[in-house]
Order: sequence, then C-alpha cells, then structure tokens
Amino acid sequence: MKFLLMLFMIGCSVSAQELFVMTEPASNMPTGSIGARLGQSLMKEQFESGYNYHLMPEIMFGANKNLMLHASAFISNRVNGLVVEGGGFYSKYRFFTVDDVHSHFRLAVFGRASVNNADIHQEEIETMGHNTGFETGFVATQLINKTSISTTISFEKVFDNGRKNPFPAAQSNSATNYTLSFGQLVYPKTYRSLKQTNINLMVEFMGQRLNENRKSYLDIVPSFQFIINSQARVDLAYRKQIYSEMLRTAPNGIYLKLEYTFFNAIN
Amino acid sequence: MKISKLNILIAMLLLSLTTTFAQLSKVEIVATGLTCSMCSNAINKQLKKLPEIEKVDIDLNSNTFTLFLTKNNTISPKILKESVQKAGFFVGSMIVTMAFDNQKIDNNTKLKKDNLNLIFIDSNAKILNGLQKFKVLDKGYVVMKDFKKNQKLYSKYPTYLLENEDDYHLKTL
Repeated sequence: MKFLLMLFMIGCSVSAQELFVMTEPASNMPTGSIGARLGQSLMKEQFESGYNYHLMPEIMFGANKNLMLHASAFISNRVNGLVVEGGGFYSKYRFFTVDDVHSHFRLAVFGRASVNNADIHQEEIETMGHNTGFETGFVATQLINKTSISTTISFEKVFDNGRKNPFPAAQSNSATNYTLSFGQLVYPKTYRSLKQTNINLMVEFMGQRLNENRKSYLDIVPSFQFIINSQARVDLAYRKQIYSEMLRTAPNGIYLKLEYTFFNAIN
Repeated sequence: MKISKLNILIAMLLLSLTTTFAQLSKVEIVATGLTCSMCSNAINKQLKKLPEIEKVDIDLNSNTFTLFLTKNNTISPKILKESVQKAGFFVGSMIVTMAFDNQKIDNNTKLKKDNLNLIFIDSNAKILNGLQKFKVLDKGYVVMKDFKKNQKLYSKYPTYLLENEDDYHLKTL
C-alpha cells in the first residue's frame, strides 16, 4: 500500500499520459482515425524449456467521439511454428466525462468476444489470445495535474476452444479481472514540437480471481513507452508474477508493442 | 433636400457596416483533458481538416491552439468545438477575434451576423472598432465548473440560461 501511495505521489508531480501498454484507458481514439497495432509477447515457459511467442496484429477504429472498435488476430508458436489460433473483437464506449483544466475523469464500458482453437494448458483464463469467450467490464480513468491513473474491473467467461479442445470441467470457466495503471511522462519536461519523441514510464498491476474456486494471481508490469512524431508508439514492457494460486504455464516475460495512428483515415 | 439625401446615404452606409464585419479571423482554443503530444496532434489533425482553417499554431505546454482562418469564412464556434470533441477532448476556453467597424454595444446588445447570433454580456457600453477579442461564455466553451458559476453570475441574462446552440454570449476582452 505504501508502494502504491508512493507511486501516486510521484505521478502527481509530473506530466503523464494514459496510453497504457497492458490496458485501455476510458478515453478513445479520435473520430475517423485508424490505428494499426502489432502486439508481441515472449513469455518464459515455467514447466518446460523455451519461450511462448504470441503475435497479435490489431486494427483499431474511432467510430465516433465515444465509441471505438478493435479487431485482432491471435498467432502463436505453441504448437509448431507460427499458427493463427483465433481472433477477437473489442469495443469500448465512453459514457461519462467530467473535464476541468487540470483534471478529467472518464468512465467507459467495454466488451471483448474472442474465438481460439489453441490447447487449454492452464487455469488462468484469457480471452486475449488464449481462450474462446467474452469479457465485459468498466474502466475509470482519472487525470490529475496531467497524471493518469486508470482502473478496470471486468467479468470474463470462457468456453471450449473448439471441439478439439474442450474447457476442462474441473477448472473455473469464469473470472473477475482487475487492473490498476499509473503512468508518467519523463521526457520532455517542456514540449517544443509535435516531432519531439515522448518517453513515458508506466507501472500496471493486473489481477485475476477465478469465480468458482477463488484462486487468484497478481502481476506487476513496468514499461517504457516511446511516442514518435506524435503518431507512432513503441512500448516495451516486462510482466512479472507477484503471486499466483492457480496454474499458469508462462506468466513472466516481455512485451513489445508497435502502433501507428492514421489520423482522419475516414471522414 | 440634398443634405437629407446625403444623411440617408450615410445612415444606410453605417447600417450596412454594422452587420457586415463580424466573421471570425482568429480563434484561440485551450483544450482540456489532454495528456500527451499525440492527443494534441489528434486535435491538430481534426482542426486542419476544416477548409476554413489556414494555419494552426500549437502551444503543447498549455494545450492552446491558435487558429488563423481564411477571409470571408462563415465558420461558427460550434464547428470548432465539435472538432475538438471529435478528437476526444473538450474546449476549456475559446477566445474569438472578429473585426468591427464602429459597432456600438452595451450589456445585452444582440447582433445578428449570418448564422451567428451574438449577445454581449458582462460588457460595458463601448464602440467596437477594428479587431476585437471576445471570450465565448456558453456551455461547451468553458469548463463545466465555470459554466455553473456563469449560470449564477449571468442569471439576469435570460438568453444565457436558454443554452441555445446558435446564440453566442460574448464578453469583450
């Protein structure tokens, strides 16, 4: 708790932003813009040698000032070579905003539906690249003196990963997920132009609690983010398990995300 | 007979001048809810889409967008406000510059220009001449907290409380 308070204090004194690496803020993309994202993760296998590589190309679209849509594909090397295992749709609707000069508070509701045909190899459930299912929840983002703190709470339910990979009956097929994210701008101290590269530091906490057996885990994800030419993003993050009561095959690893925004792609 | 004709001509000339020179030439917008240069760029790109905007100067540290507008444009503050909102943000303050030629105004003076209904409030009696700056006081052009304060402050102006989107309540600066 002390640690969280300390992070909060650091965050309050500097500029920051809310384009978090692991979670989405309650704010949306500009209307008519299209974002192309290439998400990659390399996670260390806990029970066997080697790494689990996931590739997630994603297209994002700002439908209007309150609604944005994503479509993603899930590719991984879990079997042999890179295989497309599934895909998903995500949508987020901002329904509440209070803006002031030095602060804002926003609330959004989001939902994701995914299909996946990969083998089910762990108790952790994840509709972003591992399980067939859906996730729905709320996100709240607060900006204070240019610093963002964002939190999400969601309900996730998974089904069989196709006919070949039924969801194990002994495992919990639903969970409550929660996240807490902090971000701060470390460079530049003073903006000079839109061409200037911005560097952000972020710390995110990601937790899950399985609804049927109450097993849970909590991860910490520190990250660096570079914003280039006010149009492209490079995110580098390290995910580390703090504790886990459930079986997870590869909880620790690195993320590299590349993103480019095409402003006013559609009028 | 000659003199009275001349008087009518002068009067007509003056009358036409008072209703002609009210278009926006420059607008300064402070946007709220911004946290990064990418967000500023989103507003920048959204504004530049408007053909009436010749140039956008941005102060990234104060989130101020200074818009230089084309001659004889008929753009309204509402279009500019909606552009900022399309980018996902809000207008925290809007200062518009308009040209006037010997326009007499006082508190509650109403002036019709094209699609814009200008109502001057919190402005003492004066004559506007040349380029003049005004702060737009309506809902959506100031932060919510200020708008609530303004509602109390300007309760004696019935049009302000109507929140009619085509009425612009301006304070001279």
